[in-house]
Amino acid sequence: MRNVGAVEGERVNPIKGRFHSTTAHVSGLALLFISAGMLLSAVVEYLDGTAGNALLLATLATAVGGIALWWTTRPGALDHASIFTAVGGTWVAASVVGALPYLLAGTFAVAGRPWTVVVADALFESISGYTATGSTVFGGHNRIVDQGSGILLYRQLTQWAGGMGIVVLVVTVLPSLRASGLGLIDAEAPGMGVDRLAPRVRDTAIRFWRLYLGLTVLIAVGFLVAGMGPFDAVAHALTTASTGGFSTQDASIGYWNSVAVESVLIVALILAAANFTLHSRSWSQKRITHFGDHEFRGFLSILAICTLVVSTLLTLDGMAPGRALRIGLFNVVTLGTSGGFGNATGAGSDGDWVRWAGGPQMVLLFLLVFGGCTGSTAGGVKVMRLRVGMAHAYRTLRGFRHPRALLPVRQGDSTVPDTIVSRVAGFMVVYGILVVGGTVLVAALGTDLVTAVSGVIGSLGNMGPVLGEAGPTASFVDGFSTPARLVLAVLMLVGRLEIFPMLLMLVAPYRSLRGAGRRGRS
Amino acid sequence: MIRTVLAGLRPTTVPGLRLSSKATAGALAVVGAAGMFSVLATASGLVDLLGSGDDTVLLVTLGGLVGLVSSIGYTRIRPAGRIRDADVLGGVTLCLLLLVLMVGALHLLIGTTGSVVDALTDATAGLTTTALGAVTPDLADHGGRFLRAGSQWIGGLGALMVAVAVLPFFGAEREFADRSRVHGRKPMAPNQRTAVRNILYVHGGVSLGTWAGYTLAGLGVFDALLVAMATASTGGMVDGDPFTDPVVQWVAVVGMAVTGTSLVVLWRLVVGRSRGLFRSIELRSYLGLLVVGTGLLLLWTDGSGPDGIRRAAFTVTAALTTTGFPSAPAGTWAAAAPVLLLGLVSIGPMTGSTGGGLQILRHRALLQIALREMVRQLHPSVVSKVRLGGRVVSELTLARIVVIQFLVVSVLFATATVVASLGLDLATALGVAVHAISTGGPVRALDGSLLDPTDWSAPVRLAILPAMVIGRLSIYPAMVAASSAISVVRHRTRLGRRIRAFRRRTG
Repeated sequence: MRNVGAVEGERVNPIKGRFHSTTAHVSGLALLFISAGMLLSAVVEYLDGTAGNALLLATLATAVGGIALWWTTRPGALDHASIFTAVGGTWVAASVVGALPYLLAGTFAVAGRPWTVVVADALFESISGYTATGSTVFGGHNRIVDQGSGILLYRQLTQWAGGMGIVVLVVTVLPSLRASGLGLIDAEAPGMGVDRLAPRVRDTAIRFWRLYLGLTVLIAVGFLVAGMGPFDAVAHALTTASTGGFSTQDASIGYWNSVAVESVLIVALILAAANFTLHSRSWSQKRITHFGDHEFRGFLSILAICTLVVSTLLTLDGMAPGRALRIGLFNVVTLGTSGGFGNATGAGSDGDWVRWAGGPQMVLLFLLVFGGCTGSTAGGVKVMRLRVGMAHAYRTLRGFRHPRALLPVRQGDSTVPDTIVSRVAGFMVVYGILVVGGTVLVAALGTDLVTAVSGVIGSLGNMGPVLGEAGPTASFVDGFSTPARLVLAVLMLVGRLEIFPMLLMLVAPYRSLRGAGRRGRS
Repeated sequence: MIRTVLAGLRPTTVPGLRLSSKATAGALAVVGAAGMFSVLATASGLVDLLGSGDDTVLLVTLGGLVGLVSSIGYTRIRPAGRIRDADVLGGVTLCLLLLVLMVGALHLLIGTTGSVVDALTDATAGLTTTALGAVTPDLADHGGRFLRAGSQWIGGLGALMVAVAVLPFFGAEREFADRSRVHGRKPMAPNQRTAVRNILYVHGGVSLGTWAGYTLAGLGVFDALLVAMATASTGGMVDGDPFTDPVVQWVAVVGMAVTGTSLVVLWRLVVGRSRGLFRSIELRSYLGLLVVGTGLLLLWTDGSGPDGIRRAAFTVTAALTTTGFPSAPAGTWAAAAPVLLLGLVSIGPMTGSTGGGLQILRHRALLQIALREMVRQLHPSVVSKVRLGGRVVSELTLARIVVIQFLVVSVLFATATVVASLGLDLATALGVAVHAISTGGPVRALDGSLLDPTDWSAPVRLAILPAMVIGRLSIYPAMVAASSAISVVRHRTRLGRRIRAFRRRTG
């Protein structure tokens, strides 16, 4: 057997690139990247922990698997169906294999829990990490602070890797994917279209990562100045830049109870939830260009209005005005950016929003839906879709009054093409169907209404702690049964990839099988 | 004969200006509301004679006077040559709002309640067939009880008029009107006048049939009439608990199921075009939801046996048709049971029925839009049409259905936020908002027990009224009226121009 492109007399490797599979090829490299994070965590665990061997074993297993997949395959068809399958498959593979460190280290093997629950918890935590959701199964029965530093660092690294996107990382490296790289990046975040930061896709991907890394470093320095220790500063920087929400403390940011720390976090989350194109433009033009962007201004307006409403309602409920402003601002920003951190110092404290009255909780539920800006690490439906949806609704109502008028949907000075409007409308419809269906399913698995609906919305939006029984001082073990948690984990993956890649991943293989069947008959 | 008399009263020459489109719609709305109020008040007054009769004079006099004014007004209106779609929808909204105010005032005048908020709430709940009323009339007060039931029946009739005789002819969902004369068949709504007539036939027939059913089941004639009016309109507001008898409950199940069926389906049964009826996916979905919903509720409330099936069927049918008849919870309610009922209320029955919710046909359209969007992700250049009931649905209609979903969720969020801020807990606030916009009826707590709206504060009860009105009018009329009103205010105040002039002056 000859490899394509082999020169006469050159040794031919019969295994390298033998199989054509974009999914396997991309997944293999993604696993290699993940194993690098595992290796770093293993080193830290050897220095301060007891599960160094387990992490090292997980690293080896992941690396071997990744090499095997990458080496033996080459990219296959690069049509839309294959791209969606590749993206969805990569994320599933990364999330599932990412549970290995927890399983081998026995992180969730708390006395009395069956092995099925242990496996489910490990999967849940891994998926919550890679999707940068921040929902956790750690809690009073199994505390975060009892884990080794390596495990904690790994947990934070999963969110950092997932925040920017695993596929973006792969596209940076793989030359064979460059031609379809933008399609892959776009498929990982199929929102409003990817802004090219540079003429070549690889350069775009590198720039994204540079910005991301730079932001992470800046946040870590900010936390250090605010008073966190070095390990906590780095760890929280990783999950702030990714708007993930995992913390090294059970009380999250509430552990420090510090205005300085909360202030740094608020600014950092807003930056992380802004379009990275704005950061790139500001950097290259050496001036702040963010406030010229309509979406960013709309995003800040939503945060400001919600903060005002929540603070006012908390004040009317008896909280001191200054305290209400601090609590309101922090929690509005953390949920409005899909950060998911908490500043509750304990169950029932001011920051424990499940103890708030209904009014401020409804505002938080609204924030769980919408999230940050497009082109950021934030989750949710995104502010741009909200703006386009509102403009489309207003246009439709105006259409009744002016049936013959041509009424475009505008965002600032530019017109939004009808294809984008149609795409946004379709997204909203699918999102609504998933929320309703997910809520019924999760409720059928033993969850009350408020916890179910907020859990589903929070999972689809990769938010983190939600309302009801799974608030900022509780664990998802408290609020949801094991099957319900697995449903939420699937919804996290669906939401992280903005719905279509995961759903289409289910359809695309069937299409290719049908195509193969037809070719066989002919 | 009435038309001849009225035509005779119309002057052959009328001085003054011909009315504009907006003014015509407004004037017709006032006349229409007054006319309906007149019928309701007069009928209530006559029915009151069956009891003490102490409100008869007031009701009949008021009804007669308003009716007279309405008739004179109708003959004096010189309508515009063409009334714009937006003005028709605005007029429909104005008509409902005026009727709410008038019926509310009537409640106060006859002493059903002494509270303005309760009167408004009850009037709105009746006319929007929401069953979130706040008044419990004396069982001996026949006039007051008939007023409540009658307002529901008129509300249900109005909903049918909007769905079948207004929206398909004035810009929204034209494809859903039954106008085809293929193979010599008689369509239900070839034009507006015929549509109105056929609606009255079918809806009246269903009401009479339900009345007969309740009477045969053992209810008193008058009580049966009131419950039949609440059933046919999917209003759900009844006095006391008339459903203690299992036979009455089964009659209610059948009656609700029939009224939740599309008027077009009922029409086809009446004119003998029943062949192929069960090919309708909407009808099969509706019946399927009833059956599956009953089964799931039975499972999630530990129900069993004939009694359990009856209770589950009654509760599920009341939820899906958004009738909202009260039923005490039986058994242990699992966490999923109230979620199931909430889901059924928001789905609603078939399109073209008196029920609320988003309705099944629109849900089907949304599902097809979602599937089409997924196909477009794989094949961006594909040209794909959505078909419903064998017809291609226009892109404009699809866009409007998507916007309906967006507007419903927006109103839901806004209502829930307001009522939660006014003191309700989160779960109750969400339930209240869903039931209000779906005109679904009483809200249940998480253990299945019914919540009493009279326990809520006056601001809470007032806050849910807009959602009820918007939901009953199938969203668009109220929203178009609101956007028209905002536009008028902006033009009159010239706010934009003033702001630009100020900016120019200040540089």
